[in-house]
Amino acid sequence: MPLTREDVAGIAEYARIGLTDDELTEMTSYLNDAVDLLDPLLAYDLEDVEPTFHPIGDLVNVVRDDVVVAGLSLEEALANAGSKRGRAFRVPAILSDGGAA
Amino acid sequence: MGCFDALSARQIAAGIVAGDFSATEVARASLDAIAARDGQVQAFLQLSEDRALAAAAKTDAARAAGEVLPPLAGVPVAFKDNMNLMGTRTTCASRMLETYESAYTATCVQRMLDAGVTPMGKLNMDEFAFGSTTDSSAFHPTNNPWDTTRVPGGSSGGSAAAVASGEITIALGSDTGGSIRQPASLCGVVGMKPTYGMVSRFGVVAFGSSLDQVGPFGRHVEDVALALNALTAGGHDRFDSTSQDGEQDFLAHLNDSIEGRSVGVIPALFEAKGLAPEVRTALQRAADKLADAGANIIEVDLPNMASAIAAYYVIAPCEAFSNLARYDGVRYGYQEPGCSTLAEQSSLSRAHGFGAEAKRRQMLGAYLLSSGIYEKYYLAAQKVRTLITADYRRAFKQVDAILMPASPTPAWKHGAISDPAELYLADIYTISNNIAGNCGISVPVCLGAESGLPIGAQLQGPVFADAQLLTFARALERSCSMEGVVAPGFSGRGGEL
Repeated sequence: MPLTREDVAGIAEYARIGLTDDELTEMTSYLNDAVDLLDPLLAYDLEDVEPTFHPIGDLVNVVRDDVVVAGLSLEEALANAGSKRGRAFRVPAILSDGGAA
Repeated sequence: MGCFDALSARQIAAGIVAGDFSATEVARASLDAIAARDGQVQAFLQLSEDRALAAAAKTDAARAAGEVLPPLAGVPVAFKDNMNLMGTRTTCASRMLETYESAYTATCVQRMLDAGVTPMGKLNMDEFAFGSTTDSSAFHPTNNPWDTTRVPGGSSGGSAAAVASGEITIALGSDTGGSIRQPASLCGVVGMKPTYGMVSRFGVVAFGSSLDQVGPFGRHVEDVALALNALTAGGHDRFDSTSQDGEQDFLAHLNDSIEGRSVGVIPALFEAKGLAPEVRTALQRAADKLADAGANIIEVDLPNMASAIAAYYVIAPCEAFSNLARYDGVRYGYQEPGCSTLAEQSSLSRAHGFGAEAKRRQMLGAYLLSSGIYEKYYLAAQKVRTLITADYRRAFKQVDAILMPASPTPAWKHGAISDPAELYLADIYTISNNIAGNCGISVPVCLGAESGLPIGAQLQGPVFADAQLLTFARALERSCSMEGVVAPGFSGRGGEL
């Protein structure tokens, strides 16, 4: 069943991408075309096939020695922030009336 | 002496050692060529003139002090703009990162610097590497140096075009589904995607983490081998858990004979719908030339390759959605002003920071990862990945390399393909290689009989057989007359040494 505009609006909200009405129309058409492109996957019987999530199958965690090394300084970490205050990234209120929490 | 664009990387480094010219003279020649050519090519997003001249001066001082120079000393190199280099912006050709100043230097970039290169700047790309034209750059398109009304391919289009126009000698790109091999083919240069894990991804902006791989562009297979030497020097990078110890001398067997070795061809691919007749002819000739050089041409089959596009357009958007979730307008990246809630700020920062294709890919990934849909598509795609990998394993028991096109057509006009889903189909010959993690390389073999545009032949090899793949690429290069060619409209313009 094709995705509706309402479905796509829900995905956009989940993906945190604000779409205009025109974009929503275009995106609905795109997503339906793109999903059609995936049809060959549905023709397979894959019950006995193991998935490959990564080309290097036998990865193990690489852990370095537990010694203190310098990381980014506070100034460096904040250098690209859109807004900051003192030692922190500044964001709109999360817990006030306008917040979603 | 002539234009620096006639020299290979090895010749430039050797000329500096011999005192024929200085690294500073080479850097100035490259800057001069960029000034004369890039107005039309538009390969660069950012020039790093000061850094280039400082690095060249350092090389010259080292030579004056009698030091042994590193192998790529004074060679002009530039980097796709998804690679961090301290002192430059790393924009990914996106409004989202338009003002982002690199906080550190990527391992791949650092290793090239350690090999002595002169860093000329940062190169254009499709936004966040989503595309095969470079037209989705938020800043400007890049033009194919062979015909500036045409695309250079993508997503590493700036890298391919800068090398093809002779502005620089070597470029780095990244390849998630063909983004090195396809633009190399369209621009008539050599472009290699090493085996997944050969080159560290640390400091390269992530797109599809299980698919992304950094690799070099050059006008000579030997230059690409030299760059791979530099990129793998030092082996495993402790900052990238997927990086492998691939350090070796890729020049050691470069000129070996391919007599008695075997190259696979897939007859069904030569008959595929959408394959331009002149590309088919070029590939058949390439197979003949490899046979003339002594290789056995053997028919092989990759039965599940037809499903590679479907598998890729599940895996890549899902990984992209996950990777690009970090752009929330808080710590870095575009931040929408005047928002009253954090949710609104994230949503509008992403809406206005990302271009259309970046939004499409993330929306597709978000949908495919949603509950109920995940099992239907994502899990199926990862299982088909197992089948594609097994196909390759079987084929590589019969042959040492597989020959196929890199792109079904030569370069097309800007805007000629506007439907995104139709564009995805152009990746048909490159994508399966990323899915399996194999190595692949595109080598220019001729100009199309019909279009007069360059056509590349792609060779694919088993994982970690990169040195052997380069031997085949060198054999093919030797039998064709495209080695070292600079696009005719730009060759020799500026850049006098």
